[in-house]
Amino acid sequence: MAVNNNSAETLKLAKVLDLNEASNLHGTLTSLRGKDVAIDASGVERVGVQCVQVLLAAANAWEKDSKSLVIDKVSDAFRKTMQLIGINIDHLLAKEIRQ
Amino acid sequence: MKKKVLTVDDSRTIRNMLLVTLNNAGFETIQAEDGVEGLEVLEECNPDVIVTDINMPRLDGFGFIEGVRRNERYRAVPILVLTTESDAEKKNRARQAGATGWIVKPFDPAKLIDAIERVTA
Amino acid sequence: MDMNEIKEIFFQECEEQLAELESGLLKLNDGDRDPETVNAVFRAVHSIKGGAGAFGLDDLVSFAHVFETTLDCVRSNKLEPSQDVLKVMLKSADVLADLVTAARDGGGVDEGRSRGLVKELEALARGELPSGGASEAPKPPAKPAPAPVAVAPAPAPAPTDDSGFQPIPFTFDEFGDEEATIEPSSFEVVFKPRRELYSKGNEAALLLRDLSRVGEMSINCDIDSLPAFEKMDPEAAYFSWTINVKTTKSEQDIRSVFEFAEWDCDLDVKLAESTDEELPMIPVPFDLDFLNDDSVDDEPAVENHSAEQAAAVAAAEAASNVSKMAAAAARVEKKESQSAAAAAAAAASANAANAAAGAGQTIRVDLDRVDRLINLVGELVINQAMLSQSVIENDTTGTSSINMGLEELQQLTREIQDSVMAIRAQPVKPVFQRMSRIVREVADMVGKSIRLVTEGENTEVDKTVIDKLAEPLTHMIRNAVDHGIETPEKREAAGKNPEGTVKLTAKHRSGRILIELQDDGAGINRERVRQKAIDNDLIPADANLTDEEIDNLIFMPGFSTADKISDISGRGVGMDVVKRSIQALGGRISISSRPGQGSTFTMSLPLTLAVLDGMVVTVAGQTLVVPLTAIVETLQPEAAAIHSFGANQRLISIRNSFCPLVDVGRILNFRSIQANPVEGVALLVESEGGGQRALMVDAIQGQRQVVIKSLEANYTHVPGIAAATILGDGRVALILDVDAVVAASRGQSLRGDGALKSDMSLAATG
Repeated sequence: MAVNNNSAETLKLAKVLDLNEASNLHGTLTSLRGKDVAIDASGVERVGVQCVQVLLAAANAWEKDSKSLVIDKVSDAFRKTMQLIGINIDHLLAKEIRQ
Repeated sequence: MKKKVLTVDDSRTIRNMLLVTLNNAGFETIQAEDGVEGLEVLEECNPDVIVTDINMPRLDGFGFIEGVRRNERYRAVPILVLTTESDAEKKNRARQAGATGWIVKPFDPAKLIDAIERVTA
Repeated sequence: MDMNEIKEIFFQECEEQLAELESGLLKLNDGDRDPETVNAVFRAVHSIKGGAGAFGLDDLVSFAHVFETTLDCVRSNKLEPSQDVLKVMLKSADVLADLVTAARDGGGVDEGRSRGLVKELEALARGELPSGGASEAPKPPAKPAPAPVAVAPAPAPAPTDDSGFQPIPFTFDEFGDEEATIEPSSFEVVFKPRRELYSKGNEAALLLRDLSRVGEMSINCDIDSLPAFEKMDPEAAYFSWTINVKTTKSEQDIRSVFEFAEWDCDLDVKLAESTDEELPMIPVPFDLDFLNDDSVDDEPAVENHSAEQAAAVAAAEAASNVSKMAAAAARVEKKESQSAAAAAAAAASANAANAAAGAGQTIRVDLDRVDRLINLVGELVINQAMLSQSVIENDTTGTSSINMGLEELQQLTREIQDSVMAIRAQPVKPVFQRMSRIVREVADMVGKSIRLVTEGENTEVDKTVIDKLAEPLTHMIRNAVDHGIETPEKREAAGKNPEGTVKLTAKHRSGRILIELQDDGAGINRERVRQKAIDNDLIPADANLTDEEIDNLIFMPGFSTADKISDISGRGVGMDVVKRSIQALGGRISISSRPGQGSTFTMSLPLTLAVLDGMVVTVAGQTLVVPLTAIVETLQPEAAAIHSFGANQRLISIRNSFCPLVDVGRILNFRSIQANPVEGVALLVESEGGGQRALMVDAIQGQRQVVIKSLEANYTHVPGIAAATILGDGRVALILDVDAVVAASRGQSLRGDGALKSDMSLAATG
């Protein structure tokens, strides 16, 4: 279902990224460690800070591993929540969708 | 999609007020009469927010809140308790049990809607 | 449903809560120490307070609040619910009931009483015991422990020197012009959530959203404490924020955003020191509606300030399509997904609604509607009877299918009638509960200690009967407490429990409701009753009366045995009034008494006032209906059994005993000369006084159920006549008031003003 290119694993984020999802997300990302990951945030409707913490920590880890972690699709809600909570995700966004 | 509110209160008066207020404000409302029923209904209705009274038969608000917070699936649901301004002790206990916020009685529709808006996305 | 309807519900609920409160308090008074009983009592008051607050019923709220506080002390074991404490509480329950009534019907309450009780309740809550309970160990003051409020002052914000800030001016033109005149101030907010904030269902992102609505906001998120991915706790709180808010609102407005969260975060709010902010921050978009919208945002996130606009649009379109597909896929594959829940949601909410409404499965219906239905069914019954009659009169061929149909119709009509009557049936509980208050108040006034025991509270009877029962019952209870039960000293001297008992029982007996009021007092002082009756010229000094008859003298008009006219039962109303009220309900009342052991009043009432099983008789060419319940037997008098004595008194001998013969036609003035008993029929009836009378009528037409039509409502009260009805042939028939007729036969004549003549010249009493 997901569009894969360059053999990157695609991670589709859940609609609601709340407290409950933070551990799920952390678990999923842990299982993808060492692989290039493309994150699809296009279906996200609600973003909680804890999931953002997980995503940013993952971004740091991937950078250390010299693997790529790119957010290649975002929903409006995802983008705006990031702006609201003062998190700059521009460097994580795929080139095509940077503003 | 309408936001879904689960209300838990043993008073028929308050239940009706909640129902009228929430329906008028465009919420979908599910009602339970005490904590036990609240936990039962919770499993089926998947609410966006819960509004609960404290003093109820069978299972009171504190027990109900603890029950929700122990529930793997619904532990993140915001819970507002109906309480009185004067009762700091109860407010405190409700918070310790895991309440998200409170609605100070006497019942005021505007305060209710405002509190719900504050804790829901 | 509007507010008035909810208010109506509130008052209904108050009635229930008050009943719950009282029965709970009475249980506690009986030594019940089940915490759930205390909880139920507390909840009842709390619930009344809650609803009253919503309707701005301040008097009710403030009294309920004081009451609730004291009950809370009992609940938390700071106050022992001794008898003295409960006495105050029961009185408070009474005042609460008065306040509810005043709130509903207008009018005032006894302010002195409620103020006094407020003081007593407050004293109890402070740990001061009522004077009566001096023997008990003093309890520690029941002041709620002050809650530790952990509003930790936030450390001074450490301005970061990160370079990632982007200062972008942010306009607030949407705000009203009136605010523009106020010079906005800049606040610096430092917000550091703890993990509890999230685990209690709060969300930093939502708090920041609300903060952004207070004013123009720019933000810096401190992510420095974020640990390595593998070491992190996904549910911990690592991020904190420094926010600059430019607003015309106050610091308090900013703090109130964090009202729900302040215990679970470090928060510092202060006026920003320098206006030329050195730390550039990310401004927050004003358009935050997306956070309120649950719908999937299918619009691609395109903002046209990118250099690669065309590419962006293309990519966004692709993203949008993919997103739609992916969203659909997600719905299918995600376990416990929203959509799965949504699919079940309709059924679930239906279940929930059922569960919520399920308790008891009742609906509330306006009484007028029920009464309208009952009236219509009454008409239906009459119509059906008339139809039957005319078919029988016109159908000379005997059996026909019409007759069979009519029989079925009759059966159906009867069933409809019974079902409709059942709608009005209600338990006597509310009336019984009211009595417990009367007992308390009267016992208090006369310095007696009395328990009310009730039985059969759930026995059902027509609502009208219940409503009309309260007054006579109140009077009787007052009497029992005031006169029936002795003072504690006298009781002790007689070797009885100093605490008297009044027992109120209800049960169904052969299609009627039987209500008994029993006291364990001294019983009727027959010597005194007899003397009083003689003094008041109610009986001749040499009258020879049985014990039973003496006891029943108290129902005679103008009879009162109390030595002193007391405040309680000496209100100029005697038991004769009680008797008349019961009779007006189609009931009977009698007393039995055992000296030293107490008295029992027995009332027998019809279950409904709408229909009556009657015997249709002819008297002097008139059709009358005699209530079947009054008739013991019917007999055909023989000449040998009739004995005359006095000027125009006659007796009939039945199985070796004599019974006064009463000519109904004469009593009702249908005729002036006595009919010949041998040519008529005698109906043996039992009168309230216990004795039997033989009522002379000319002929019996048959038995049938009749629909009662009040004469008072349609015409005027007629002595000796209880009501009227319409028979199958359309004729109006009068329903005989058996007791009035019997009373009249004792020498009292029926008078037009409806009252029975009190100066009786008693000739024959047995």
